[in-house]
Amino acid sequence: MENIANDFTINIATANGTGSQSANLILLQSLFDMGVPVSGKNLFPSNISGLPTWYIIRLSDHGYQAPGNRTDIQVLVNPATWEEDLAALEPGTVVVWNENSKLEMNRGDIVSYPIPMNQIARKINPKLAKLITNIVYVGALAEILGIEQAALESAVKKQFKGKASAIELNTTALEMGRSYFRENLSKQDPYIVEERAIETPQFFVEGNEAIALGALFGGAQLLAWYPITPSSSLAEGMIEWIPQIRTNDDGESTCAVIQAEDELAAAGMVLGSGWAGGRGMTATSGPGISLMQEFIGLAYFAEIPSVFWDVCRVGPSTGLPTRTQQSDITMLYEGSHGDTQHIVLFPGTVEECFEFGWRAFDYTERFQTPVFGMSDLDLGMNRWACSGFEYPTQEMDRGKVVRDRDVFEAFEEFGRYLDVDGDGIPYRTLPGSGMAPILYRGTGHNPMGVYSEKPHDYLQLMTRLRTKIDSARDQLPAPILREEKECEIGIVYLGSMENTIQEIDDILEATGIKVSQCRLRALPAHSEIENFIDRHEKTIVLEINRDGQLYGILRKEIPIHLVPKLLSVAYSDGMPPRGKIYADLILKTLKEGQL
Amino acid sequence: MSEKPERPARAIKLNVINEPKDSYTGGKSSLCPGCGHDQISNVIINAAWENGIKPHKIAKMSGIGCSSKTPAYYLGQSHGFNTVHGRMPSVTTGAYAVNKDLLYIGVSGDGDSASIGIGQLIHAIRRNMDMVYVLENNGVYGLTKGQYSATADIGSKKKKGPINKTQPIDLCALAINLGCTFVARSFSGSKKQLNALLKAAMSHKGFALIDVISPCVTFNNNDESMKSYGYVKENEVTLHMTDYIPHFNPITEVEVPEGHFRDITLHDGSTIRLETISDEHDPSNAVAALTALHEAETDAKHVTGLLYFDNTKASLIEDLGLVDTALIDVPDAELRPGKDMLNKINSAFLS
Repeated sequence: MENIANDFTINIATANGTGSQSANLILLQSLFDMGVPVSGKNLFPSNISGLPTWYIIRLSDHGYQAPGNRTDIQVLVNPATWEEDLAALEPGTVVVWNENSKLEMNRGDIVSYPIPMNQIARKINPKLAKLITNIVYVGALAEILGIEQAALESAVKKQFKGKASAIELNTTALEMGRSYFRENLSKQDPYIVEERAIETPQFFVEGNEAIALGALFGGAQLLAWYPITPSSSLAEGMIEWIPQIRTNDDGESTCAVIQAEDELAAAGMVLGSGWAGGRGMTATSGPGISLMQEFIGLAYFAEIPSVFWDVCRVGPSTGLPTRTQQSDITMLYEGSHGDTQHIVLFPGTVEECFEFGWRAFDYTERFQTPVFGMSDLDLGMNRWACSGFEYPTQEMDRGKVVRDRDVFEAFEEFGRYLDVDGDGIPYRTLPGSGMAPILYRGTGHNPMGVYSEKPHDYLQLMTRLRTKIDSARDQLPAPILREEKECEIGIVYLGSMENTIQEIDDILEATGIKVSQCRLRALPAHSEIENFIDRHEKTIVLEINRDGQLYGILRKEIPIHLVPKLLSVAYSDGMPPRGKIYADLILKTLKEGQL
Repeated sequence: MSEKPERPARAIKLNVINEPKDSYTGGKSSLCPGCGHDQISNVIINAAWENGIKPHKIAKMSGIGCSSKTPAYYLGQSHGFNTVHGRMPSVTTGAYAVNKDLLYIGVSGDGDSASIGIGQLIHAIRRNMDMVYVLENNGVYGLTKGQYSATADIGSKKKKGPINKTQPIDLCALAINLGCTFVARSFSGSKKQLNALLKAAMSHKGFALIDVISPCVTFNNNDESMKSYGYVKENEVTLHMTDYIPHFNPITEVEVPEGHFRDITLHDGSTIRLETISDEHDPSNAVAALTALHEAETDAKHVTGLLYFDNTKASLIEDLGLVDTALIDVPDAELRPGKDMLNKINSAFLS
């Protein structure tokens, strides 16, 4: 039997709230520390304790980060999903299962490794057995796959920072799991872990924490939020970091945090801070953005800086709160009633989460309009490898704010909504400054900010707003292109699909189709997007939703002669994207497109 | 002095910061002639002027409705924000978090506050958000042409339509139960009382609610309405005579009333003086305040005056734990941590 090194998927089925998360993170971290390219996806329920959870670990020397097309190693601990999990396995799958679960192992066509997990755990500490049952399978897996003990122990230390008794208990459990396998079973599978040289040191971090840090380096002055999965850890990340990086020796901070009564109030607070001249933001998910629609329209129409982070989950309605999707694209881009258009940023990596975290404030103040960041559960709540965050490359851009009386007096005429520079962006003065006070309003207004229902005023205002947002397009992050000259097919995609695109590309290439990649990073779309579409025979717009939301937006905005070149591939079942599914859909769509 | 200072043709009265009252006025009202809200606007102008607040250091906030249009009619030198229906408290809260140095005067109506925006009102009270909240209460939705609001009294009848049978929400009672730190009720026709209460509210640090009955002359000023001018004038029960002595006027120079009175010192050193009329009302007693409201409701009366006051609670700004400087005045360099800090964070993640 030939060994298969660093190229397989492990699926671990446990129950929520049993400590399995720490066990799985220890496994993931130890693989990472051995230099193995690895990714972990937590498929957790909307529940605190008891419901089934799966953790998927993909090892891939190719650097593929999406779950593999099949499960190669299944860990079965949860009796509730036992039968279903077992039935789904392909013949030959390795199954590490809890012998104490009193459930049957009715498959003869798999590689079976029974481990008495509860019994081993009880032997170590009867009182804490429940908490260490899961760590036993990590020990067994380490033995089966050849994970170094040193890497495991260092991961345990990282997980239980400084808690000596927890470290000792877990280390013992790991060792017991290992020795049980060594003494009672023999390896009958091909899967092994091989250490890889680490070229650039990297660390694991969640997208939400990266945005939180980015926002604090962006000078955030107010976080107003309402808890919602999967965005809460973004807000909590800020709350955790403020005392460390935005607080003086007297314990006084420069970033206010208010947990609002609902998402409407959170949005209102963000607008209030922007109106007053501060940098305010909120973190939410799709249902929260739905509730914020009215304020979003006000921010657009009255031109109030405001930053909204949407960590997308599966909709519509409450949907699948703990699953991932890119389904808020249209809602963010065209949010609120009436004609609107908003700036939306789509980070695709944790490094970009940090970068867009601070840039969002510069854009919102520069263009005096709401700015959205769209991440998703996959990027936000899973751990991704990061080589380090890059310090902001430019000073904070506070936009066209007149703070100085001399500057103010140099204006021939000052109107809050006068287009002095011809770029659609007016100048503003701040409350308390005593300069050009106006009553901001969501009703129609003329360039002086005075209430108006006159057709000319309305038309002029709406035209200017369109010019303003349109002028942002090439000042926003440009798309990332991976292009080969001879390619006829292009793929436009965004956000967390970055983690699956290379695998999709390789699957397509294996069938003889070479594609160029274009990762859109902001809306309104950069003019490079149009050029990319123009350069290719056909362009697939690839996204994690049902309706092809980005496809719809691009179709409307690109020149009409390019529209027939666009093809939509949109798919979402709530699971993190798997390369094979999307590659197959692309092949099918291309075939249909030729007919 | 040999030279006589140049005097204006007509002596213009200036306030303590040498501003004429004109510095506090606004645009022409577009409300119905005789609207209670216009009287309140005039009192706001007067109170801000008499208190000597720099006009540009005031922020005038509102939601949607007749009342919420009024910020255009007063304090033309102040920035304002006419926000969305019922959501003025959250916008004010966000502005306050980044600029605590302004005096926030919010104006709202009974539709804005008792229905669509009741949640935001409640939570602003809960946070003891530092603002003056003037509720212009007329029992009907004016801009949509006279539907009952949630403060319409049982048995009251507006100009058109049936008698209201639905239990009203008394926002003063609600506020007292929520621990609001300044709760008053007044009447747009009682200018002197409203003026004193408003000035006191401006001197208060924390949430100051003034529920002002302000008759709607177009839809709810008929005899059968319990929020008509005629009805309120006849059925107003005043808790006390209300006087305000500003911190810049030594209290010793103010004439002491003959009867019994109670002085309450406000956060900025000003005093509100409550002169007993018949029975004495103790504004620090929430039960007494609720009793007064309950009795008035039973008798179909409107009780006015300072119902409840508490100066012991921290306001929102103290809870936020911010630097002394208003956040919008903190230099950019202090808002963005240095490169060293990011290097440290990166290395900590790596270790």
